[in-house]
Amino acid sequence: MNMFDLDQGIADQLTEVSLNSAVQVRCGNSNAFMVTASTMIPLLQMFEMSGVYISASRGAAEVIKGFEAIGVDVSHIQFIDLVSSGILGGTTVPYSNIHFVDSPIMLESVLLRTLYILKTTDSERNFIFLDSVNSLAIYNEDRMLAEYLHTFINTFRQQEVLTVILNVPDQTPPLVLSNLDLYCTDLIDRGQVVIH
Amino acid sequence: MATEFKFDKEDEKFFGSVGSFGVPKFDNEMHGGVPRGFTMIAFTDTGSGSELFAKQFVSPAEESENTLYISTNEGQAEIVRIFQKYSWPLDINVRTIGEEYNSNVLEKELLASRYRLEGFRLEDIQRLAQTRFVDDVTQDYLTEVTNEVMALGPYFRAVIDSLDFFLQREDPARVVAMVRMLQAHAQLYRGLILISVSTDGLSPLIKQELASIADMVLSFQVRTIGTDFETSMIVSKFRNAPENLKILVFRVTPEEGITPETVERIA
Amino acid sequence: MQPAGQYSRDRCITGVHGLDEILRGGIPYGSTVLASGTCGSGKTTLGMEFLVRGADSGEACAHFTATEPSVKLLENIRQFKFFDVKMVDSGLINVFDMDVLYSWLGLEKSSFDLDDVHSLIKAIVDIVNTIGVTRLVIDSVTTLCYKIKSEQLIRDFLFTLGKKLATLGCTTILIAEITSATENAHWSSFGVEEAIADGIIVLGDVERMGHLLRFLQVVKMRGTSHSRAKHAIELTPLGVMLTPMLKWGAVSDTHNRWGA
Repeated sequence: MNMFDLDQGIADQLTEVSLNSAVQVRCGNSNAFMVTASTMIPLLQMFEMSGVYISASRGAAEVIKGFEAIGVDVSHIQFIDLVSSGILGGTTVPYSNIHFVDSPIMLESVLLRTLYILKTTDSERNFIFLDSVNSLAIYNEDRMLAEYLHTFINTFRQQEVLTVILNVPDQTPPLVLSNLDLYCTDLIDRGQVVIH
Repeated sequence: MATEFKFDKEDEKFFGSVGSFGVPKFDNEMHGGVPRGFTMIAFTDTGSGSELFAKQFVSPAEESENTLYISTNEGQAEIVRIFQKYSWPLDINVRTIGEEYNSNVLEKELLASRYRLEGFRLEDIQRLAQTRFVDDVTQDYLTEVTNEVMALGPYFRAVIDSLDFFLQREDPARVVAMVRMLQAHAQLYRGLILISVSTDGLSPLIKQELASIADMVLSFQVRTIGTDFETSMIVSKFRNAPENLKILVFRVTPEEGITPETVERIA
Repeated sequence: MQPAGQYSRDRCITGVHGLDEILRGGIPYGSTVLASGTCGSGKTTLGMEFLVRGADSGEACAHFTATEPSVKLLENIRQFKFFDVKMVDSGLINVFDMDVLYSWLGLEKSSFDLDDVHSLIKAIVDIVNTIGVTRLVIDSVTTLCYKIKSEQLIRDFLFTLGKKLATLGCTTILIAEITSATENAHWSSFGVEEAIADGIIVLGDVERMGHLLRFLQVVKMRGTSHSRAKHAIELTPLGVMLTPMLKWGAVSDTHNRWGA
């Protein structure tokens, strides 16, 4: 049972994108998980895609538990966790679908690990969900992050892998944000949060 | 303070304070035999009969399992033949270092030179690709021999014939150190050790060092008298018994092996 | 004969993800390539993958190991998903322990003279020739050259070996160890290796905010154009994976990386 209503508009917008699209999904601080779930659920259930979830905001185990709590099975999604290695004991988790990268500053490792997972998957329809640019911005210098997103988006677009990039715009440096706007093909904007 | 070893009373009675040289007449000349705990160094001339004396020395073999004969020149077959010839006991421990060295090291060197000159054949390469470890043929014979003698228990009897093998391959200082260790072991365990070393090419310094470590120094010499050879052994050092210093001319008989004939006192 | 500018040498396709792209198709056949790097930078893994990829396409490969026992090496090679033990059983991958080779050649000594060096070259060339090896890895040439006391002799050794292997059509990777101190000064321990080699691939680490990121950079490769950029690498069960290193993050962020 969902603790909140999913945003059907996101699912509708996703029907418009193709595999080589790069979608920027903007959210606010308070609706991040709702927006994430509203994006992931159609990808998994409606479009029956496989994918890689890069978690830079929270540990992957916490993300998985969040999805499990709303009844979404993410056991066939591979997670790349950039947070837990920075916490002693953080990598001791009961999930086998989590890959750990030492730090969010190891951006190239994240890209390579994602490519590795995609190479080992049988699925032909894959997505990459990057959660989130603003989290990466905490550790990485603006110019480097902008450069990275450029490479990241182009790499997966070329490989026909749908790229979904979550972003809280008011926590993202302007240089990164403007570059993201430039490289992404689609925008799902849920950044203007109305608190009921 | 030196380590003290407690000897069994019965053993003390059985073995006595002296052991036989294996040559009864020589025992008589030395007033009963060789005192237990003695290390003897025999400086030898080529053809002087020292190899036979070495074998004869182990022949009393009070305890065969505590008796060790180490030969660096002869093979097992030759040693057995001599022991059988004189009806000496065959159940003592014998180690033939020279034979081992030939079969391990020389064989390997021969093969290496073949590989270097003629190259590898396909079967050699296949074998090489499947060989994961180097055969341990680079043995440290000096340490092995030292350990082997040191492992012998009270009232042991050991012969090393001869030290030349080690002096040619090792640092002489290591060899001297080994002799020193063996001497201490013999003293502590009331063992008897005979070590032969050839005088040919032996440095005076090493000779002097060995002589100073030894409790008894023998020299085996051979000289020509007319058309005959005369073999003699000279006792030039006998710790605490200078009356035993003698020159003994000996001959070899089919029954008794080395047998002293005349005695010349030198002290 | 091809018009000038159209000639291109046949390539040994390494099979290493991304490396053939950097080399515009692979290593020119018969080249001797120095793969130098600091410890833990992935040199041995790169060498092993080069061989396994070769064996996978039916080529006979040889690996001379002086830095770790072949038993360990063969155990580590199993991590590759594309490795099949039949490659070893059928003789496509041949791993030789250098200490066994030294022992067989009577070279168990601390330093080699000219005669010893020639014996060693002859043995390696013999092996390559007899079993038709087209891919060879020597891991490491540094360990081997430590036994050759003269720089001139090291030069002769590498030059003669490289020339003979090239004649036999064997593409060779010579793995060289460099320390962090020499990393910026040289791409090899003795300095002569890099001059003799047809190609140089450098592997190392870039320090970024206290984390080490592995990189690979092709510094030189005769007979082909190639990228000279630093590439980040990951060692995975699918082999070495490369991606261009971020330009803003390709330089270590501390001048003195060891903080001394």
